[in-house]
Amino acid sequence: MSFRTKLLLVVLLTIFASVSVVAYAVTHYTQAAFEAMDTEHTEALVAQFKKEFDQRGEEIAHQAKNIAEANFTEHMAIDLSRPNADQSLYVRDAVGSAQEHGLDYVEFVNYDGVLISSAQFPARVGYKNDWVTSVKDWNDIPAFLRKEELPDGVSLSLSVVRTNNTVAGKSLYIIGGHRLDKNFLASLVLPTGMRALIYTNLEPTFVPTSLMAEKIDAEQAERFAPLVEQLQKQPQPVVRRIDWTRDPADAETFHAIPLTGRNHELLGIFFVGSSRKELVMLTRQILKIAAAVAAAALLIGLLVSFWVSARITKPVEELAEGAREVASGRWETRIDVHGRDEIGQLAEAFNHMTQTLAAQKERLVQTERVAAWRELARRLAHELRNPLFPMQITIENLQKARQLDAKQFLEVFHESTATLKAELANLNNIVGRFSDFSKMPAPQFVHVNVNEALRNAVRLFEPQFNEVGKPTITPELFLTEPLPDIDADPDLLHRAFQNLVLNALDAMPAGGTLTLRTLEQDGYVRIEVADTGKGLTPEECSRLFTPYYTTKLQGTGLGLAIVQSVVSDHHGTISVTSDEGRGTAFRIDLPERQAGQSNPRREAAAESKSTPSTLAAASD
Amino acid sequence: MSPWHVATKRLALTVLFSAAIAGARNCAERQRYGGTLRVELHAATVALDPREWQVGSAEFAINEKLGALVFERLVALDNYGRFQPQLATEWSHDAAFKRWQFTLRANVRFSDGTALNNADVVAALQPLLLSGQQVVASGNGVAIQSTAAMPDLLEELASGRLFVYRLQPRGTPMGTGPFLVSETATDNRGPSGRETASGDSNLAVSTPGAKGGTPWRFRANEETWSGRPFLDAIQVTLGVPPLRQLVDLQLGKADVVELSPELVRRAMQDNQRVWSSAPVTFYGLRFDDAQSAGAAAKLREAMSLSLDRQTMANVLLQKQAEPASALLPQWLSGYAFLFTMEPNIDRAKQIRATLPANMAASTEPLRLHVDVPGDLAKLLGERVAVNARQAAILVQVVNRTLSHAASSATSTWSDSASGLHLFSWHYSSLSPRVELESMVSALNLGDSSEAVVSSTDPELLYAREKKLLEDRHVLPLVALPEYIGLSQNVRDWMPARWGEWHLDDVWLDVPEPSPALPGNSNTPATPVAQPPVASPGVKP
Repeated sequence: MSFRTKLLLVVLLTIFASVSVVAYAVTHYTQAAFEAMDTEHTEALVAQFKKEFDQRGEEIAHQAKNIAEANFTEHMAIDLSRPNADQSLYVRDAVGSAQEHGLDYVEFVNYDGVLISSAQFPARVGYKNDWVTSVKDWNDIPAFLRKEELPDGVSLSLSVVRTNNTVAGKSLYIIGGHRLDKNFLASLVLPTGMRALIYTNLEPTFVPTSLMAEKIDAEQAERFAPLVEQLQKQPQPVVRRIDWTRDPADAETFHAIPLTGRNHELLGIFFVGSSRKELVMLTRQILKIAAAVAAAALLIGLLVSFWVSARITKPVEELAEGAREVASGRWETRIDVHGRDEIGQLAEAFNHMTQTLAAQKERLVQTERVAAWRELARRLAHELRNPLFPMQITIENLQKARQLDAKQFLEVFHESTATLKAELANLNNIVGRFSDFSKMPAPQFVHVNVNEALRNAVRLFEPQFNEVGKPTITPELFLTEPLPDIDADPDLLHRAFQNLVLNALDAMPAGGTLTLRTLEQDGYVRIEVADTGKGLTPEECSRLFTPYYTTKLQGTGLGLAIVQSVVSDHHGTISVTSDEGRGTAFRIDLPERQAGQSNPRREAAAESKSTPSTLAAASD
Repeated sequence: MSPWHVATKRLALTVLFSAAIAGARNCAERQRYGGTLRVELHAATVALDPREWQVGSAEFAINEKLGALVFERLVALDNYGRFQPQLATEWSHDAAFKRWQFTLRANVRFSDGTALNNADVVAALQPLLLSGQQVVASGNGVAIQSTAAMPDLLEELASGRLFVYRLQPRGTPMGTGPFLVSETATDNRGPSGRETASGDSNLAVSTPGAKGGTPWRFRANEETWSGRPFLDAIQVTLGVPPLRQLVDLQLGKADVVELSPELVRRAMQDNQRVWSSAPVTFYGLRFDDAQSAGAAAKLREAMSLSLDRQTMANVLLQKQAEPASALLPQWLSGYAFLFTMEPNIDRAKQIRATLPANMAASTEPLRLHVDVPGDLAKLLGERVAVNARQAAILVQVVNRTLSHAASSATSTWSDSASGLHLFSWHYSSLSPRVELESMVSALNLGDSSEAVVSSTDPELLYAREKKLLEDRHVLPLVALPEYIGLSQNVRDWMPARWGEWHLDDVWLDVPEPSPALPGNSNTPATPVAQPPVASPGVKP
């Protein structure tokens, strides 16, 4: 990843993180503020509910007291206190009283607990209500929640009991009540986004239809089941959020307040639901603004960071480009220096470095050139000195022979001229070899079977492997068959292989094993030539392919240089590995195909057998 | 004796004499012709074609009452239990009671002026007679014959829907009774302003409008053989709620109204005239066929033992009903007192304990379908549920919906919904045998292969009814009389104790029209075309 990209990312991430933190903080504090407000609303609504509850209770108590004190109630009490009173006379009076006093439920209960009249459930008349007579004085007991039996089931009522004590010891009980239903809920003033529900807990299990609300369907009612069941187990206030849909805006937070009866039994649950829509919408608005700010900031940041990175990274990139130029060999590369800051100093240091490197390289080249010439001169002098010294002796002998008689002189003369001729031929040969190296031909690529070329090269040296009087050298060939033909110059390839085999033979004066191995690998053909000689030192290995470098007394130092030149001309690679005392292995990797070569196949190996240059090279 | 005492004695004698004369004058008050009797009924629809009347239904009573205004029977039963000739003047039967011969009254004419003949009687009665009975023209009369004995044929002919009528070309019946059907009170005048005098009794009466309904008008039949009725007309308003009827009676807007039991006490407290019949409407519970399994028999027994009929009649219905222990009332069968059904909650609980736990429990409550419309039936249904709960039998009351009530107004006891049904039955026949068999047939009681009792022997009828009650497919609850509120103007209101009105005897004691208001035609009881004053109790 480039420095510019990194810089860009850092800037963008920083902006994004900053905006996120701000958005989160705003959202968090807004949410907290909303929840505080929601709690306040809920508490206010609960207080309103309790107030309404108490107010209704007082109204009911007032109306029940009015009924208890009415004339007809007194007459009823007196009449019913008589033995064998006709209770049927009053069966329908509760209905009238309920209508007259605006109560949903009115019941008259005789002093013995027998229900005399019931507005809400006339069919129960005649049955006993012992719970009424169990309390001595009802008149100070405020309204309470009660489970009210009705013909079509049970309902929840807010009831009071009052008594008519006209006849001492034979009180007539008046039970008045209001049904706790949707009308009760409708009387509550609800803030926007809030609603109130009442669950009448009249069955041991959750019953969806017992949930009263202005607008709620069965499916929604079912969602209250866990909440109701929790309160049925433990009647304590609970707050829970209900997600109606996947959209958080549709969620509501419900505060559940248990409603208990006189004996603290759970008879109902008052739910205050507050919609989270406003909060969610505000949060979304904040997030939208944050997103917009973030986008703008990121855009600006992008542009700024581009500009900044351009100012910072351009010199760095120029520096890198300059370094690459230097690496590719252009020592004269210079880069522009912008400013005097760290980047500018770095550019100046780079320019200074390249300048120094170029100078040092020039000096090194000159030194190497001088060294090469010296080595060449030394080698050439060495090579030339060998024939010159006999020639000098021969000429001195010839000068001395002038004092001899003619016959002896003639004999010496012939010998000297023969010697001179031989040495001159030797000199000519030396000069020719140097000339051959300088005149390495360009390769002519044809399809060549590498295995066959190797066999031909080895075959040339078969007489030497078992030469009488010399240690035996055993050739071992591990050639992969079939091996694809490669594009190569057969003559040059043959010459290279000959040099390698010859080099291996020279490395094993005490005999050994010559191993040749071929294999195909990733579009290349690998040739390994290994000996079991004494091996080479690392320094020798590093200089092995230097022209005119040899470790042999009779070598010209051109054999392996020729091999490297051939391999290079074939776009291959050559490497050497050597373990001192164990031998040396040369490894050549040649590409199967040369670019732009489509020459027809010919029997290159056969043609290369009698190539003179090959022999000359091999003898080198 | 002092002069003071003599004067005092003379004054007292004068007062007594004057009072005696005034009393004698009141007692000898003569019937008056004229006036319109305003009748208000709760029923929303009536049908005057006897073929459409469903025996036992609540609507039957109203249809029969209005039918009696237009049609006549062969014989009638008077308030003393004596058969009186109507369209038949003589009758006789063979020794086996299998053939009855009736001689038709001469010079009886239908409302269109055509004479009644025996073919009319045959055509009218044959569709209405019980199966197996056949009516044939015979001489100047008709004969009714059957393979089975018909000892109570006269009771059968004197009650129910066995009216004589003639079908008009439009398929509507036409009668010979004391009244003719006019059009509705608001539409009873044609373009010329004259009443249509066709006597068309096609009363496919529709539900009245919102303002108390459209009244129907029956006008006096001047040509009837029994003499013109005292009333000029009878105006019948349908679909009036019970409380509205009472209010109209109190305000003088109605002369004859139906009173529901809960309003009777109120009407009496308001010093209204209230007449009640013998118990004519039976309320009971009916188990459908699905409850006939062995366990269900015990359930029926437990249900029966849980029912507190005394409280229902005496407390809930404020003594305006009688506890019913039998299918037929005492006044009809004469043996109903032999049946007793006392509640026994402990025994009911014991029986309930032997039943499967989920039977009639909260998971599968016994559904009580209240097939009868109205608050009374609903109250009874709820009481049944409360009683049953004491025996640990959970009953869920399913009240009849308004739409259901409208669609099945004539099938109150034949609802096929499974479970328990609260039904009502209106006694329509004066023959206990016919009535019992009608109930058995309509309610699908008893074994169909069981022979129908053809004898009028009370012992056989008792045995038959006892067997039905022991089966407990029907549990009697209460029997209600019919309550009628009457205005002070109604005179000679002498209906039969089984509820049949005799409006041809009724007359209105209306004040003389005020000279200051000669053209006040809205006065409801304004006498018109005052005929000669008739002798008390005798029609011309």
